[in-house]
Amino acid sequence: MTAVLPEADSIDLSDLEFWALPQAQREAAFAALRRDRPFGFFVEPEIAFLPAGPGYYAIVRHADVEAVSSQPKLFCSGEGATSIANLPVELNEFYGSMISMDDPRHAKIRRIVSKAFTPKMLEALVEDVEKITDKILADARTVAESGDGTFDLVKHVSSPLPLKVICQMMGIPEEDEALVLEQTNLILSGGDEEFIEDENKALELVLGAGQALAGVMERLAEERRTTPTADLTSALIRTEVDGETLSHQEIASFFILLCAAGNETTRTAISNGVYALHEFPEQKQRWVADPSLTKTAVEEIVRWASPVIWMRRTATQDTEVNGQPFKAGDKLIMFYNSANRDETVFKSPDVFDIGRDPNPHFGFGAPGPHFCLGAHLARREITVAFRKLFEQMPDLEVAGEPDRLRSSFINGIKRLPVRLNGRA
Amino acid sequence: MQVRIDRDVCVGTGLCEATAPDLFEVGDDGVGHVLRADVPAELVDAAREAADNCPTRALAVS
Repeated sequence: MTAVLPEADSIDLSDLEFWALPQAQREAAFAALRRDRPFGFFVEPEIAFLPAGPGYYAIVRHADVEAVSSQPKLFCSGEGATSIANLPVELNEFYGSMISMDDPRHAKIRRIVSKAFTPKMLEALVEDVEKITDKILADARTVAESGDGTFDLVKHVSSPLPLKVICQMMGIPEEDEALVLEQTNLILSGGDEEFIEDENKALELVLGAGQALAGVMERLAEERRTTPTADLTSALIRTEVDGETLSHQEIASFFILLCAAGNETTRTAISNGVYALHEFPEQKQRWVADPSLTKTAVEEIVRWASPVIWMRRTATQDTEVNGQPFKAGDKLIMFYNSANRDETVFKSPDVFDIGRDPNPHFGFGAPGPHFCLGAHLARREITVAFRKLFEQMPDLEVAGEPDRLRSSFINGIKRLPVRLNGRA
Repeated sequence: MQVRIDRDVCVGTGLCEATAPDLFEVGDDGVGHVLRADVPAELVDAAREAADNCPTRALAVS
């Protein structure tokens, strides 16, 4: 870090404006927190119609995030993992599904789908991912060539790729893809005003989005009950846990989780990866020249992008983390983005280095039972996306600044203008 | 060397399968299974790496 660090006490992670700052400024703020205020306490962001909560501790150092994440009995997810505010119980389960559950229930639910996301099972899917990517890139080229040579990378590449893959895995028909994209965008908008103009309507809009997705699931589930297939939706309605099939609401929330997590995160990784290669052009040259770097390059993209910025845990009893005491009920927010730039773990953390090894990043979450279900899938999607981009669009260049999502939760890019300059 | 998977803790992340596909496989029950009771010499390092990297610490080598 070359920049002078800001005053740690002046940083407010609950201020949405903080999340609109340029990435470098945010990273400098987290560097200051890691150094001077590693267990900073923050007042919770206000949410219309919810009572103000007691506040939270920002866990920003790699070792502290690992300690919290790897002790699920001391730091639970069941009070809420994706919301700082305590949501009404039914809302917490509906939008969190197994993310906001603890073992043993969490493990039993997760095991229903875990096999579908393992490396050996995904081998069968790689060809599909490649075909989907070929089609997407051909369509994007048509957009560029029928216009001024530019297109929006997010709209035409990084959104449709993971969206089509997860929809295929779930058995969602193509005509519903637009709805899935629109409604998951709303759920994970983090209050960005492009998606939620009136914050008083935030809860209502998010609830409506959940209902719309549940509607898709109900129709699919109805079909699968009479004609089961090999897709994930069939697995969800068929499987018994503790001798019972999942309830209607459990299936709906699981479905929403897979839809949302399956497309927002990889989209964010691909978009941020393309922009990182623009900011570090020598890394792009290096990767193109040496495809054997792909494995480490994909990990570095995930570290750099940190698509999911944080998850929450709640202390279940009076305890401590690396010497810092916590009381039962305290909320701890694990900032993965900050752990991923921890200078005590990563050499030159603010340098994008596609050969970085070792790279013990927490881009898929830190150790613990909630480690990303889709990690193997995401790695394959990112691998295929960049290999195909290099092959089929060697002349692709970033043509403007990314339009970033103003969210503390998803490190999203809403638009990234790119151009095919014809000079490969 | 022997490896064991604690099936109460394992949630089937499949990281062991990614590291050592000849040794581990997530089954239809959603948890990891050891494919070979005794680890051959050439897979000892991979087994250790898989145990170190298991996010749920479900893997033990002895």
